[in-house]
Amino acid sequence: MTTETAGAIGEFVAAVGLAADSDASLCARYAVDRVEPRVVVAPGSVEDLRAVMREAHARGLAVIPFGAGRHMTLGNVPTRYDVALSLARIDRIVEHEPADLTVTVEAGCRLGALQAALASHGQFLPLDPPAAGDDATVGGVLAANAQGALRHRFGTARDWLIGTDVVQGDGTLVHAGGRVVKNVAGYDMTKLYAGSLGTLGVIARATFKVAPLPAAETTLAVSCRSAHAAGIVLLSAHDAGLALHCGELLSPAAAALVLGDERWTALVRVSGGARAVERSVREIRDFADGLQETASEREPAPAWAAWGAAFAPAGLSMRASVAPSAVPDAVDALDEALAPAGAVISATLSAGLVRIALPEASDIAARDAYERAEEIARGYGGTLLVDAAPARLKAAIDVFGPARGDFPIMRRLKQQLDPGGSLAPGRFVGRL
Amino acid sequence: MTREVVRELERALGRERVISTPEELIAFEYDGTIERGKPQAVVFPETTEQVAAAVRVAHRFDVAVIPRGAGTGLSGGSVAAVGGVVVALTRMKRVLEIDAVNRIAVVQPGVVNLELSHAVASYGLYYAPDPSSQRACTIGGNVAENAGGPHCLAMGTTTNHVLGCEIVLADGEVVEIGGRTRDVPGYDLVGAVVGSEGTLAIVTKVIVRLSRVAESTRTLLAIFDSVDDASNAVSAIIGAGIVPSALEMMDRNIILAVEPVLHCGYPLDAEAVLLIEVDGLDESTAEQADAIDAICRRNAAREVRVAADAAGRELLWAGRKTSISALGRLYPNYYVLDGVVPRTRLPEVLRETYAISERYGFAVANVFHAGDGNLHPNLLFDEREPGVTARVLDAGAEIMRACVAAGGTITGEHGVGLEKRDFMSWIFSPDDLRAMAGLKEAFGAGENYNPCKAFPTHKGCGEVSQARVQRAAAAGAEMWV
Repeated sequence: MTTETAGAIGEFVAAVGLAADSDASLCARYAVDRVEPRVVVAPGSVEDLRAVMREAHARGLAVIPFGAGRHMTLGNVPTRYDVALSLARIDRIVEHEPADLTVTVEAGCRLGALQAALASHGQFLPLDPPAAGDDATVGGVLAANAQGALRHRFGTARDWLIGTDVVQGDGTLVHAGGRVVKNVAGYDMTKLYAGSLGTLGVIARATFKVAPLPAAETTLAVSCRSAHAAGIVLLSAHDAGLALHCGELLSPAAAALVLGDERWTALVRVSGGARAVERSVREIRDFADGLQETASEREPAPAWAAWGAAFAPAGLSMRASVAPSAVPDAVDALDEALAPAGAVISATLSAGLVRIALPEASDIAARDAYERAEEIARGYGGTLLVDAAPARLKAAIDVFGPARGDFPIMRRLKQQLDPGGSLAPGRFVGRL
Repeated sequence: MTREVVRELERALGRERVISTPEELIAFEYDGTIERGKPQAVVFPETTEQVAAAVRVAHRFDVAVIPRGAGTGLSGGSVAAVGGVVVALTRMKRVLEIDAVNRIAVVQPGVVNLELSHAVASYGLYYAPDPSSQRACTIGGNVAENAGGPHCLAMGTTTNHVLGCEIVLADGEVVEIGGRTRDVPGYDLVGAVVGSEGTLAIVTKVIVRLSRVAESTRTLLAIFDSVDDASNAVSAIIGAGIVPSALEMMDRNIILAVEPVLHCGYPLDAEAVLLIEVDGLDESTAEQADAIDAICRRNAAREVRVAADAAGRELLWAGRKTSISALGRLYPNYYVLDGVVPRTRLPEVLRETYAISERYGFAVANVFHAGDGNLHPNLLFDEREPGVTARVLDAGAEIMRACVAAGGTITGEHGVGLEKRDFMSWIFSPDDLRAMAGLKEAFGAGENYNPCKAFPTHKGCGEVSQARVQRAAAAGAEMWV
């Protein structure tokens, strides 16, 4: 740390008062890709958050917003990192009007707490980032654009987000969207913040549409002899318009880990009205019979919790994006190349999204696995994003892949909305 | 100067793709609103390269560029407010690719919304956003306005169905944003361009998501003796965890306009009817239709009818789809508004809408997307009455204020355009607007890309505001919401 920075940190701590802590072991807990902040600050309200940002801005300090830290593995290695900004104390559910099917929540609110509150009114926010628990914050999930198996039916965070309050680098509070479900007043800035990894502003509050919880639910695992057979089961169910919330294609290693059955598997979550669920289950069983494969019912909660734990970002976690029709082939190729190195794979077929996890990968193995996965994804006309990687690999790559033709617009956008370049510097696409 | 611009456009695109005589330009001076503006030229490019060439000419001469689809917009978005070059995209009307397995289509911006659904129908697919102008309006225009429609309640609006675009920036550069899946890394530039009203970019290619036609559709008509009861039924349906594919309300004045012509079975003595549709598996729609029936009756519905077959469904919808043009039977002119409120605030905001209209001495007819809280009050008037236009605009502004006061917004699907620029400050602070200006800057859009729309930043915009208040209203013969 230069003397200059040390001085600035001292002034910053003095200015923001009790909310700041530069204890070394605390700072170590907020390390991002082994880069440690100089100080951790946890404001207790959106107003305090603005004050913290103003003080940091005045001293040119680099700030990284921090929720529960569940998705901090995503992003490039930060080029600067002075202040860890914890949103953990800004965690209220601001407003939930059940009959409006909308909820406004502060960024630090735990997803689990939000889901529990919504569930008491028979509703849920259909975002289920793969995780070992449910303590991720809403702001973190949004900033990382994290999503799980519900992707099949419900899309991504941007499809549910209808309003944001964002604190900019200099402490300015900007509001976008609203709490109505249809809104075309002005540019839809909310979309920009979903998945922006804190590089355009600190999400302080967000308003979402929510969905009614299904009346009935069953989880079925169809064990298959090949990725293709599992793919056919999923595609048939999708094309028949069956009541599916999730439809995942699991590699044998993934199925062994999640279900204790080492075979290619179509894992589906059938949800909806009781009669629709009954018929959907019957038809999926028929598809399985027709292919001479076996369908078995599973306890939904443990199966999907195990799935979430298996694909929580850790070690080397990657997401390939290919055309849905290419999924069985791509998954097959990825499994053949990476299963020996310990990869577990699960694909949301309808979205063309393939998750590849090697939680125990060493630096060298990770490098090799990444390169092979990237080559295979590219071979199927797709792209690869790295959700988590060992430090050495991360330092060597852009985790978002090569920049595209629209990168100059993104760079100018970053310059416009974060002219000081102090928000999570270096973390985003093209190291913005 | 004008002459030189026209000559350069002709050189770049060919004479047959440029018009510039006053007679030819008349049809391009207006859209679906009361707004007017005279362009210097209209060009009809057939390729992306021709769009870019036209934009480069305008850029060189520092004149405005106004993209235009079918001209069915309801906020003045395609009106040449300060003159300039209108880029009419209607000749770029090819469906470039249908990938039925992956449920996407790649289309040029001039493809008509409903024609896209027709083009993919044989695969059992359709394009979900269905603005009421869907027989005429274009996908490019839908992208610009983030168009909605009756079936956006369950399916979402245009933004939920666009995956990628090819765009032309203000300096003529061609850029691809988004892609064929939602997982393209980087800022969601597609999300920013959808609904940007042609002020960030001209869209020359769109990758859209297609949806599967459901196996079963059921349509119900619930008849109420009070608007309040109908509004409460809307909240009760949503509150019960049912999200119908469409949930529309029509009030007494709409019924009076529609029923004598179409005989769709809307009772003439009802105060409001709800048109409710559910789709999905046969088992789901049966369950949901039963539940909706019971909820409506609990909320004092006088009667609930279920359409027996496809013909019955079409008849119920016919009244909804032609309701606005049918208003022409009652009054010479109408002004259609577009505001949104949280669903639970519908009863009070509707009451206020009636009270405001009455205070200004106007009859009002409401036909709207109740399930979304998206109101469309139509103020009925006769333009021959002196001074009436200014009063109509004032009454409209007051209704918009009531929406905002109830926690709502000034437009749900028609856009800000020329019409509501001055209302932007009701819902956005100067800081909010500065952030939006930053986005515009990032696209390098400058002052000439569809000037005066949404943001009154161009130097000529002040005069436009003055002029529009004085202009006589002459709402078109055909208007859709």
